Amino acid sequence: MGFSTRQIHAGVTPDPSTGSILTPIYQSTTYVQKSVDEYLEKGYSYSRSGNPTVKALELKLADLEGGAGCAAFGTGMAAVQGVMLAFLNAGDHAIISDVAYGGTYRLCTKVLSRFGIDFTFADTSKPGEVVAAVRENTVLILTETPANPTMKTSDVAAISKIAKANNLVHAVDNTFLTPYFQRVFELGADISIHSTTKYMDGHNATVGGAVICKTQELHDKVAFIQNSTGSIMSPQVAWLTLQGCKTLSVRMDQQSANAMAIAQFLESHPKVEQVCYPGLKSFAQHELASTQASGYGAMLWFEVKGGLVAGKRLMDNVELWSLAENLGSVESLITHPVTMTHADVEEAERQRVGIIDGLVRLSVGLEDVEDLISALEEALEQV
Amino acid sequence: MSRFYHFDTIALHAGQAVDGEFGARATPIYQTTSYVFPDTDTASSTFNLERSGHVYSRITNPTVGVLEQRIAALEGGSAAVCTASGMAATYSAIIAILSQGDHIVASSQMYGGNISLMKNTLPRFGITASFVDPMDIDGFRAAVQDNTRLIYGELIGNPGLDILDLEAIAEIAGEHQIPFMVDATFNMPYLCRCFDYGVNMTIHSVTKWMGGHGVAIGGVVVDGGNFDWGATDKYPTITEPYAPFSGMNIWEEFGPSAFATRIRCEAMRDIGASMAPMTAFLLLQGLETLSLRMDKHISSTKVLLEYLQAHDQVAWVNHPDLPSHSGHELALKYLPKGAGSIVSFGVKGGREAGKPFIENVELASHLANVGDAKTLIIHPATTTHSRIDAEALVAAGITEDMVRLSVGLENVEDIKADFEIGFRAAKRISDT
Amino acid sequence: MYFDIKGKKVFATTGGKPFDKDQPVVIFLHGSGLDHTFWGLHSRFFAFRKYAVLVPDLPGHTHSEGPSLTSIEAMADWLNDVATALDIDNISVVAHSMGCLTALEYASRFPTRIRSISLITSGLATPVNPALIEAAENRPDVAIAMMLGWGFGTAGHLHQGPIPGNSMLAGGLKVMGGNVPEELATDLIACDTYGSGKLAAEKLRGPIQVILAGKDRMAPRKATAELVSHLHEPEVHVIAGSGHMLPLEVPDECRKLLKNFIFTNNTSS
Repeated sequence: MGFSTRQIHAGVTPDPSTGSILTPIYQSTTYVQKSVDEYLEKGYSYSRSGNPTVKALELKLADLEGGAGCAAFGTGMAAVQGVMLAFLNAGDHAIISDVAYGGTYRLCTKVLSRFGIDFTFADTSKPGEVVAAVRENTVLILTETPANPTMKTSDVAAISKIAKANNLVHAVDNTFLTPYFQRVFELGADISIHSTTKYMDGHNATVGGAVICKTQELHDKVAFIQNSTGSIMSPQVAWLTLQGCKTLSVRMDQQSANAMAIAQFLESHPKVEQVCYPGLKSFAQHELASTQASGYGAMLWFEVKGGLVAGKRLMDNVELWSLAENLGSVESLITHPVTMTHADVEEAERQRVGIIDGLVRLSVGLEDVEDLISALEEALEQV
Repeated sequence: MSRFYHFDTIALHAGQAVDGEFGARATPIYQTTSYVFPDTDTASSTFNLERSGHVYSRITNPTVGVLEQRIAALEGGSAAVCTASGMAATYSAIIAILSQGDHIVASSQMYGGNISLMKNTLPRFGITASFVDPMDIDGFRAAVQDNTRLIYGELIGNPGLDILDLEAIAEIAGEHQIPFMVDATFNMPYLCRCFDYGVNMTIHSVTKWMGGHGVAIGGVVVDGGNFDWGATDKYPTITEPYAPFSGMNIWEEFGPSAFATRIRCEAMRDIGASMAPMTAFLLLQGLETLSLRMDKHISSTKVLLEYLQAHDQVAWVNHPDLPSHSGHELALKYLPKGAGSIVSFGVKGGREAGKPFIENVELASHLANVGDAKTLIIHPATTTHSRIDAEALVAAGITEDMVRLSVGLENVEDIKADFEIGFRAAKRISDT
Repeated sequence: MYFDIKGKKVFATTGGKPFDKDQPVVIFLHGSGLDHTFWGLHSRFFAFRKYAVLVPDLPGHTHSEGPSLTSIEAMADWLNDVATALDIDNISVVAHSMGCLTALEYASRFPTRIRSISLITSGLATPVNPALIEAAENRPDVAIAMMLGWGFGTAGHLHQGPIPGNSMLAGGLKVMGGNVPEELATDLIACDTYGSGKLAAEKLRGPIQVILAGKDRMAPRKATAELVSHLHEPEVHVIAGSGHMLPLEVPDECRKLLKNFIFTNNTSS
């Protein structure tokens, strides 16, 4: 069945007792067992270890990504952490995209480093740098593509080959493009990580994460961490995310189309220094972005002439676009990564990976694209 | 009989079958609009009340159904219908049995919304009301007309806190073969089970003590199952064939739950002021601790009554548990645990002093709800009852200096200390 | 509808459809102290499937004029008077508890009118605890509490009901509360003194269905086993999780069994 059919029906069957077309919200801690001998006969004992509503979302996401299993987490960061804890032990080493989300960077450098795990932040857009970073104790590569916020694109197939050759697990943060646009398992990756907060929910209603594994063996390891560390998703969040997923493809199509129109508008605007969107011919890795995924997504950044001062002026004055963190929702958001999402990344590291001070990040939503463009146009006039 | 469970047990368990699918201990939240049918026959026969089940969440919903059965059980009623708000419950209940040309005899001391519904809204559709002082039993009898079809009141009047003599009114209603409906929000079945005294149906704003946490708006109508609709031809909506359900005679087929069935088939289906599943879930959570909370509400109320009576800045204190209250004897009869946690009192210095009192307390919240876990205060003359003319205001027993207090679950010493600040501010005004 | 039997007013619901005696007939019989509302959903189900449905209140019960009938034999005679007055045959009898004794007696004495019999939660005899009879006569509230406490299983005790929002326990209390003390006590004595069950059961031929409840505390397993053993080739079902008030407690399972049996043995147009 096609993606659009599966995003609606996968994982969800009408409730047998009432016919309720939607999976009920099982806001329950525990499950009454029929007898001691039939313990777990119905599959549930305690909602940390499993919850029917959360399970429905896990089945849906596993199906959409084409994996053997999915573990839902309380947040996207909990999902990233879940993968790290599942595969990394003290003394191990992992290679992380040098432009990974600021929170991932913080998790590695400030938290997991305390437990004797080493990280190399490599430019995964250059497979050669990944090869060079592999050590004897390397066990995991985490690629984020396109990267947040630079949009730097990594070649998933090439890195997967490196991972395979060195017997490493290759995890890809697929939050930006979702399985609708980017089929990471078909490209050779082993694990897909999502902040479901973003496009899966799509309505700024929930915070959540998910890890989908290509094989059952990998999934069992992640699910073990999910249960033992308990950073689980709540039934309410799962239920809302289940609803959001039903319109994933149409939102992605429309938000991407809006993003393309906005990128073209900005590129032609005299006050704009540079625009970075994988769909633009001017995008350095346009060819890779075009072959690796079937869409370009709805994230882009630009720099106003006049740098940081001009950028701040624009962000403070623009209407309709909300100055906020998060991304991927139907509401269009504008963000200044240096002071907001990536403030925890040291300045030198930011400069090195291309998060320049004047970088203005856009998460393009579902509003009428004419309204979004005229709002930017008016704000640019005031710069 | 061990299988007739007590209040606390019912509050925790009634209406809930442990989820058959996974055994979930809590009630699942059926956040769904509709229910998939295996075939068309199941669909049409479920709708036609030939088999149990759910069709569409405006009419019934499994989560809401648990709350309905739980409240019916607590109240001792045969059935309950939950609604989007307490006002929706009152409205749905009235239109289930009254039509153009019909008349209501109602207590003059009721929640302002009830008065407004009967005085302003229902008359537009040909349903009129006469209002009688709740202490004037003969007045109720005298007010019954040929076209009277309902007697309506509140056990604990709002905001004057007069006590309605349920048995006396029920007797009048019985003489005329008219049902007696009571808004029981202030007493809840925990303080008084109205059906034990001849009341035929109750209304609750579940928003209040039943839910108890001020998080969701909801109402319920409970069918006492104790009115003989067939004894008179006054109620054709119950006893005559109902065309939308193939001429169903609701009274003949549903007997003790005929009234609730009519609300379900008409008000829920055609008007649709139905309760949301999430609301039902939140209110179920609240209901689980109703008896615990009420005991604390009542004990703190008793402490505050003593405190207020002894206070220099207090002109008067009104609560049915006080021997000075005109309804004290009735309160002892109907409300032996305590006459609720609403207190009204006058701040010395009148309207001018009441304002700084309300504005200077910080723990007590100034708002138009009652029955929250938090202590609430309000000045009725300028808020809840502001849309009622001066004459009705007097009839409703509201004075300009009246402060209405809904006693919360905070430590009662903290409430007292908070009031001291308010009284000091009031004193500064009255001294200058 | 209302009709007269020997000058006494009798009430019966017809399941929401006019009673058409030319269709196959289903008569539902209620148990001690109860009335027609016990069969609400089930009666509508058959009425809307071209059956002529009759759910009478026994004399003295709720809407039917008294006095109550003092023996099962008298109830069987009365039932035959009803069938004669309405000029009906091709009858499928569906009976619960005390109604089953009446059905056994009636069908054994007037077999030609009967097409099929469905007996729900009953034994061959229903000896009644003397304390219960005493309570029914003198302390009806206690008797009702005992009967409903034993009669219902967990679902009933927890105020669930076949219709969302309705409490079957509270509904039962209201109905029984209107049929005390005289009707309930008389019913119980009639049950207690009926001794011809075995004789009646052995006479019966034709399709018989027995539906039993695994958690029945009113009709014990020994008594129901005896009923089954004296019937000729009965179709027997046991619903494990249900109590005595089976048609209310597990309405879907009960309806499916009744439907399959009656649709097969007394086919409507």
